This record gives sequence, structure tokens and C-alpha cells, in this order.
Amino acid sequence: MAATMSAISAKAAGGYRTAPALVSWKGSRAQGRSLISMAAAPRSLRLVSLRTPRFRVYAAKAETVNKVMEIVKQQLALGAEAAAAVTPESKFTDLGADSLDTVEIVMALEEEFNITVEEDNAQNITTIQEAADLIDKLVA
Amino acid sequence: MEEEEAGVRRWLVDVAHWHPSPAQFDAVVALLPSHERPAIARFVSEDDRKRALVSRLLHYSLVHHVLRIPFRQINICRTPEGKPYLQKNGSALPNFNFNTSHQGDYVGIASEPLYLVGLDIVSVSKPHGETASEFISNFSSYLTHHEWNCIVRAGTPSQVLTEFYRYWCLKEAFVKAIGAGVGFGLRRIEFHHAHWTDISIHIDGEVSNKWRFWLFNLDEMHLASIAKGHPEDAVSSYKKTLSNATVAEEQLHSALEGPEEAFSLWTVEQLTQLLE
Repeated sequence: MAATMSAISAKAAGGYRTAPALVSWKGSRAQGRSLISMAAAPRSLRLVSLRTPRFRVYAAKAETVNKVMEIVKQQLALGAEAAAAVTPESKFTDLGADSLDTVEIVMALEEEFNITVEEDNAQNITTIQEAADLIDKLVA
Repeated sequence: MEEEEAGVRRWLVDVAHWHPSPAQFDAVVALLPSHERPAIARFVSEDDRKRALVSRLLHYSLVHHVLRIPFRQINICRTPEGKPYLQKNGSALPNFNFNTSHQGDYVGIASEPLYLVGLDIVSVSKPHGETASEFISNFSSYLTHHEWNCIVRAGTPSQVLTEFYRYWCLKEAFVKAIGAGVGFGLRRIEFHHAHWTDISIHIDGEVSNKWRFWLFNLDEMHLASIAKGHPEDAVSSYKKTLSNATVAEEQLHSALEGPEEAFSLWTVEQLTQLLE
């Protein structure tokens, strides 16, 4: 079927690219663009799986995750040892958050991303990834 | 010793003064059942691991000390909400229940033979990067109007902060005593007091005479609260773990009106010696 992404991008650029070219869901090739976060991208820009023939949409969470990680590290005042151990899957409680910290983390995220988190949603946020997922859902 | 006083304990460990080598730390971990180890190791910070270890050490050493169950036979489980309880409690104290808390320099445990007990320890630390006012506003939705007014009128920022921590600490002790999870609406409960004595609770607007609360200053930087009350108020998942949820009213009143037990300070070495 379609050529692989790297082949398309190589063809377009005539050489090596650090980021794959993006293809709109209709199958036509868009101009090569580097991967940018959904927060900054216009709605029409879609990211496409390189593996499946069908075009699927993935929200870019890397930037959100990083920002959440930053906020959590700051809120919990993690030392260097602890900060190095933080992953998106890290549970807030494992990072040393108590009940006061978890409330403050949610508040800080609300402020940073300009969103409102309902109380029942707040209780379901236990890791950095879960927070990022909820944020992306709310800003979308 | 009177029946009612058997099983009442208030123990405290100052973990800031315990500096185990990795080998010493591991030796204490080895005293506990192996299923407790991942729960300790999961914390990324050494201080949190220390507090988690001492918290669990308190569970086992207290149960062993009070109920005389050989510690390898002590089976401590958790409800879905995370509250620890003693399984297969065939002792003479069917409602024996306990609660631990840790923050800052202290880890503590409280136990009661008949009534529910909750313990919360807070470190009255200055918030970093924000004023006391900004800090407490984060929690305004967890406080009632009355409590909020008392807090903001407490005086200097430092007094306001301490006042906030008193209310928070009491709310936590109650929620922990009844075995509720994070979803409990803290705004449903309101505390009333006379200069922080005779502390009582209003639940959903109604005063409850089945609960009493006490606040302790552990030191300049730490507060502890004790909640003590009727087992009928336990949430269902926790009530199942108690054998005697129906308690006679007369018994209850005498227990709640009596003086509150003081905390005793233990070292980790003393606790481990109990297990040997």
C-alpha cells in the first residue's frame, strides 16, 4: 500500500530527517513538519501511527506529561535522588505526597492549564500520566 | 487494669533521630512479613521509606504487645479504602482497632479495644513559594464557612496556618477512624471547641455526641489529633472487620468523658525488642 513514512520523508527532503513527515488522514502527504504538541498545534493537524495501515489519532502527551512532572516535583520539593526516579507512571503517594499535597497538586494543575477538575475526577488522578491524560481531555 | 483500658495505646516514634545504616534498615524490614516489603520499597525517598517501615513496625509490635499474638501469626490486612485491620482477631478485645499516621519527624499509632480510634499527625510547616493565605485557600472547599472564618481570624499568618492545620488534622483523624477513603466529603464535618478543648463534631449539620477529639502539641512543629467514637459510624467495609459494632450507650459516654491517654515515646530499638 502506501510507502513507509521514512521513505516518504526521505523522498521529500532528499535526505535524513529527524522527524517523520506527517500524513493527513485522507492519505495525502503533508509537508514535513516536526512533531509538535497538541497544545500549540491547530486542530486540523493530526499525528499518525507509523505502524498500522489505518490512520489513528494520538494526542501528543509528551509536553503535558513533562509539565505535570515539573509541577509535581516542585510541589513535593523532591531532592535530586527522588526527582531522578520520577516517571509518568509514578504514583503521587510513592513520591511522598500526603493528602495536603494531592489537593495542592490538583490546584496547581488547574492553574497551570486553566482547567477545572471535578472532585470525583481529582480522586482518580493518582499518577502523573493520569493527570496528563485528564488535562489533555479537558483542554481538547 | 480495667477492661476498658486494656488495649488503649498511644505510641510515638521520633524517626528524625533514627539513622539506620542500609543493613540496619534491612534487618528491621526482615522482621516484618514479606508482603509488607513492596509497600515500603515503593517510596522513592529514603525518609518516606523510613516512615513507611516504622509505621508497619508499629502495627506489628503494638498488636503483639497488646494481644500477645506471636508476631508471625499476626495477619494485618487492608480494606479497599486502605485501612489496616487485624484479621482473625480471636482475642478478648473483639473491636480492637488501631490507626497510624506519620509526617515530618514522627510516626505514631493509637489503638482502642472497643471504640473507633483515628490518629493524624501534621507538621506545621511553612508553605514554600506561597503565603499562608494562598496556601490555605487551596483547601477552602474542604472547610465549612464557620471553620474558615475561625481560621482566617486566628491572627498572624503563622497563627492562621496553625489553626488551619488543627482543623485539617481533626478531619483526617475522623475520616481515618471510620475507615473512609479519599472521597469522603470533608465539608460535611465541622469542628467546635472551647480553646481547643471539648472538641466535638457536627456531621451533616447535626452535632454528634458519639465522638470526641483531642489535639496534642508534640513539639513546636508537630500536632497530633485523636478521634474516638462509636463503631456504628464506621464505613461498611471497615465495620465488617469489627466484631461488636453495637456498643451500649452508657459504656460509650464514660469512655468519651474520661481523660485522654497521653502519648509515650518509643525508639525503633525498643519496638524491635518487643518482637524478639
